[in-house]
Amino acid sequence: MAITDTLIPAVDISDKQTVPVTLNGKNILICKANGEFYAVDNQCTHQRAELTGGRIRNCYLACPLHGVRFDLRTGQPLGELTRVPLKTYDVSLADNGNLQLELD
Amino acid sequence: MSELIKVKQQGEARCEGLSYQDLLDNETIEVPAYLREDTNPYMGDEDLSVDRWISRDFHELEKQKLWPKVWQMTCREEDIPEVGDHHVYEIVDQSIIVTRTGENEIKAFINSCLHRGRILRDCDGHAEEFVCPFHGATWDINGNFKGIPCKWDFSHLDQKDMSLPQVKVDTWGGFVFINFDENCQSLEDYLNPLPEHFSRFPLHDYYKGAHVQRVVQCNWKVGAEAFMESFHTLETHSEILTFTGDANSQYDTFGDHVSRSVTPMGVASPHMPEVTEEETMRDILELSGRMATDNAEGHAMPEGLTARSYIAETNREMFSELIGEPLDQATQSELEDAILYMLFPNTQVWIGYNGNIVYRFLPNGDDHNSCIFETMILMRYPKGTQKPEPAEKNILRPDQAFSEAPEIGGLGPVFDQDDSNMAAVQKGMIASRKGAVSLASYQESRIRHLHQTIDKYLNA
Ligand code: FES
Ligand SMILES: [Fe+2]
Repeated sequence: MAITDTLIPAVDISDKQTVPVTLNGKNILICKANGEFYAVDNQCTHQRAELTGGRIRNCYLACPLHGVRFDLRTGQPLGELTRVPLKTYDVSLADNGNLQLELD
Repeated sequence: MSELIKVKQQGEARCEGLSYQDLLDNETIEVPAYLREDTNPYMGDEDLSVDRWISRDFHELEKQKLWPKVWQMTCREEDIPEVGDHHVYEIVDQSIIVTRTGENEIKAFINSCLHRGRILRDCDGHAEEFVCPFHGATWDINGNFKGIPCKWDFSHLDQKDMSLPQVKVDTWGGFVFINFDENCQSLEDYLNPLPEHFSRFPLHDYYKGAHVQRVVQCNWKVGAEAFMESFHTLETHSEILTFTGDANSQYDTFGDHVSRSVTPMGVASPHMPEVTEEETMRDILELSGRMATDNAEGHAMPEGLTARSYIAETNREMFSELIGEPLDQATQSELEDAILYMLFPNTQVWIGYNGNIVYRFLPNGDDHNSCIFETMILMRYPKGTQKPEPAEKNILRPDQAFSEAPEIGGLGPVFDQDDSNMAAVQKGMIASRKGAVSLASYQESRIRHLHQTIDKYLNA
């Protein structure tokens, strides 16, 4: 398990915001919902659309394309369009105030 | 059953002991007129055939003549706060997209693509426009057609009205209602006298603090009826009798669409003459799930006070603090009694200054032997602060108990007791040789009222 610094200060992200980052060649979306940080693959499991800018309500992120909602805590989708969960990553706070992710 | 229950005879038969109206006489604050209403016209005592709950034909009739005609509650306004937010409302085999199209405007579209019919939205969410996931036909959130890929192949649609069909929408108390019938009466007329009775409780400004749903294996009416009489308290919820005036409840009907039950709380059941005020006070705090606190520790009954007064004043103090506004004009009754209204056909809402319970019973899709039971709890928040976000719906699996939903607190175990009857009633009605149910004249009058109104729709 490798911890990777995202170079993004936690204080720069506001609630309901989504921030895409590329780490180790992966497109990952950092989200803040209800004061908590989450990170998921930035690709809808329905049609691979980017999730950047998707609406966040409670701890659900909606895909901008057809509206599939994913539970940011587990990656599980709601509704019928896809049954495949989003990959999620553990987020923590580094000593320098940046967010860091656990990538495998 | 206790010897104490000797009903007075004739059409005015009521349980002995203090009636709800007697309790109102003890109020020190002016009693609002709606609480003084006491109206229960005689509706007959005929048995009702079990077909109303178990037959496919009856369900088909409801599908044709009831659901297409009634105003039905779909969601809370706060569930769709921003323009483009929408809720997918499903009733039997119909699907509607309830969409916020402006700060003060909500529209409801038939959830079906005008190309080849796929549902346009699969679940609640937010959309800048409605793009059909099948071939990409697109509408703006006001239902105006914006196009479909390969337009050259659809010139025959140019002359057609491609706007998304809509159904009627209106709101009351922060609830969004729809009606499929273009010629229906206004929501305002339909609700009468509900808004007037709730005028002291600005439900539109409450927020949804909890929302729990589960499938129950019974017809939707069996579910609704489990909450329409307090007669079952004695056998189903015996642990709450020390603080529930079950058999002294009042039952009222108002026109076709509204009825209510008022069950005095903070008084012992007439079935339990031996209970002390101290026991009533302690049990209501610990078991009711509806008081300002659910911990009796540190509460002692002051000499000379009744439990009913003590609890009401405790609620008054704590609710006032929570709301940030004194509840000087609140009666003790409004502060603690179980005052539960039904809005025909399937929505029930409690009176109260905080923690108002809402029930809804929807047919489970097209299945007449199961329903979706939902409960919401509407909460207050301090005046001048931002309204909290509504709770996300917690969908329990069919095998889960309501007590597994911590957000509904003490109500969970009570619902589990009700739940122990609901599927069992459906099963028993199917097995019945009698083929009919009998109703108590007074205590179950609201159930008869529900069915008489259903008949008005089915026979129209
Ligand atoms: S069914 Fe909707 S675009 Fe084809
Ligand atoms: Fe009950």
